[in-house]
Amino acid sequence: MSFKEKVKPYLEPIADGLFGKQRGMRGPQLAPVAPRPIGLMMEDLLRLDDEAWGTYAFSRDVLNRKFTPEKRAELTHRAMECGREYAQKMAGQYGTSNPTELAKKMGMQVEYPEMPKSAARVLFAEFKAPNHIYLYMDAVRKARTTMIEPGVKAVLTDKLDIGQLLLAHELFHYVEETYKKEIFTRTEKVELWAPKPLHNRSTIGCLGEIAAMEFARTLTDIPYSPYLMDVFLVYGYSKDAAVRLYEEIMGLAGLRPSNPENYSPAT
Amino acid sequence: MEYVIGVLLLLTFFGLAYYCIKGYNLMIGFLVITIIWTVLPMLGSLVVGSAFLEANPILNFGPDNTLVNALNSIYQSAPEGWGTTLVNVCWGAWFGRVLMETGIASTIIRKTVELGGDRPIVTMALLNIVTAVIFTAMTGAGPVIAIGVIVLPIMMSLGIPKAIAMFSFMESVAAGIYLNPVNFAQYRAFFIATDEMPDFTLGWYAAKWGYAALAIALVVTTIMAGVFLSRSKTSHAWAAQTAGAQQAKDAPMYTLILPIVPVVLNIAFNFSVIGGFVIAGFAALFLCGKMKGGFKASCQLVNKLYYDGVVDTAPLVGFLLTLPMFNKVASYASPYFNAVLGPIMPKTELVVCIVFAVLAGLGLFRGPMTLVGCGAATLGVLSNVASFSVPFLYAVFAIPTITVNIGSCITQSWVAWGLAYTKVESKDYLKLSIPTLYIISVLLYVLTMFTMTGLDQVWYA
Ligand SMILES: [Zn+2]
Repeated sequence: MSFKEKVKPYLEPIADGLFGKQRGMRGPQLAPVAPRPIGLMMEDLLRLDDEAWGTYAFSRDVLNRKFTPEKRAELTHRAMECGREYAQKMAGQYGTSNPTELAKKMGMQVEYPEMPKSAARVLFAEFKAPNHIYLYMDAVRKARTTMIEPGVKAVLTDKLDIGQLLLAHELFHYVEETYKKEIFTRTEKVELWAPKPLHNRSTIGCLGEIAAMEFARTLTDIPYSPYLMDVFLVYGYSKDAAVRLYEEIMGLAGLRPSNPENYSPAT
Repeated sequence: MEYVIGVLLLLTFFGLAYYCIKGYNLMIGFLVITIIWTVLPMLGSLVVGSAFLEANPILNFGPDNTLVNALNSIYQSAPEGWGTTLVNVCWGAWFGRVLMETGIASTIIRKTVELGGDRPIVTMALLNIVTAVIFTAMTGAGPVIAIGVIVLPIMMSLGIPKAIAMFSFMESVAAGIYLNPVNFAQYRAFFIATDEMPDFTLGWYAAKWGYAALAIALVVTTIMAGVFLSRSKTSHAWAAQTAGAQQAKDAPMYTLILPIVPVVLNIAFNFSVIGGFVIAGFAALFLCGKMKGGFKASCQLVNKLYYDGVVDTAPLVGFLLTLPMFNKVASYASPYFNAVLGPIMPKTELVVCIVFAVLAGLGLFRGPMTLVGCGAATLGVLSNVASFSVPFLYAVFAIPTITVNIGSCITQSWVAWGLAYTKVESKDYLKLSIPTLYIISVLLYVLTMFTMTGLDQVWYA
């Protein structure tokens, strides 16, 4: 060993101390969670009804607290109906329910970028007016690894093509943009506070999301809510984040997370 | 001979600028430069001509001006003098923690968003306003992060691109800091001792310059964010928000006024800043039912919040207490700078404003314009080559320090946090912040020309 190599370990801490980068600030730390098989989480979430997913969708909306649970349920059903209706309408109009072909016929530009992202907010796909759709491929690629975990395939079935599902969802936002004068998700408004004679009305963002999910489900014909993908795709980024999300969704639905000890993956 | 030393000092100054830009530890950087700037001028006093020493009595060491006294003033009195400033920082950090713990800050954000609804530009503008107002009172990286984790996901969920969301939030925080009493005390200490010029209060400063500065910074930020937003189009994203929307209970309506109480008391009655923090902080804790757990539990809570608050400011403390040594030592170095740079330094208020507006970008990366970077040295040089009033110099340096460094630069601790949190690239952030910082700076220097120039002799130190 040369002299230089010998002194290096002693000098390094001093050099680091003098010239080391400033340590970055960290945000709030989350409590640890117990691990949970993804197959079991999918199985549990499969049983949630439409209203439970509606509650989840609303929980992510800034206007969530403006609605009673009854009103949320009603809006959820109407948004889902809207999504179904336009899925059939588009499939009829363009003569196909295959999302890739629909996108082509609608004149969409679909891109497949890579994108770095944090586990706090995992971005799967995006629509930008007038006609750009971005499908973020790392989410899709990570999903392939998650897919082979025990019990997952049995729940999600062979019908699932994640790329197609994401594309179908984003296509709805284009449809929404095209029919914004008449489509339910854009015409339904809620009255917000304003000084007396004035009015302050806003659309409700999550209605478009609920409808887009139903639109995608109808086109791709999968037998469950595409909202399952939230937990499923996050799992590829952070198992802990997926478990936390799962527990939150179960909590919103008023259900207890099931016990992983009794789990035997279906095949 | 003084020219040689002046040039050597200048080289070390550029060395410091480079060191800061590389993102190395600021406290150590300033400690090292302080030592160099002690050694060079003092050794220099042995070799320079006697005319130079007579013109600069500060370097003329002898029985009346001993070397030990000089060293003591740099390494002892200077950081001690900043103790008063540091105490304000600690109480401000405690108050910030109280506003988080009681849910007052998050309630204000939620109510604001429920006013704007699903309209990105409207909601963003409203959020900018409340962010600025909140940060007239809150201090430190902890509160910025705590508010950021609420505000940033909301903006992104409305389809605002993450870089624009972050830009809009961070610049609004900086806008609020123009009226923050803790920052005011902190920067004021660069120009005069705490007990000097008692009329230079936050109230006087706010009426003359501060309100307008905040308003200009906030309006420009919001307009720019709106322009960027309309150019990039809002998007509809399928994203999973895993951090979980906090379903915390709302704080009572009438407590939402508490964040601005310390600032209002200070501006209106020149009431003690710390007193304001204590009154508003305990009012918040009582009114939000945080003191119901009995005496012991309440004591523990107050104590824990103080602990967390001080930890929030800890990364800054070492730097803050090294900086005054540097400020002091700059007065020993400035005769040499004067010899070299004197002929080219701006000497009238108009020229200073123009030069600083043009060079505003040099406040980035802890450059020679920002007080929380090597601008402290620039101040030393500038105030020694010509005589400017204290409020004028304050305004001149506050602009690059607050808008350029704190709001726009990726070396600011919480901006660096935001980049990591939102996964925005540094260059994407700077692309938005640099044009904005120039617009804000130019407008604020115009404002400075109108309200802070030609002041009476009483405002000169
Ligand atoms: Zn969507």
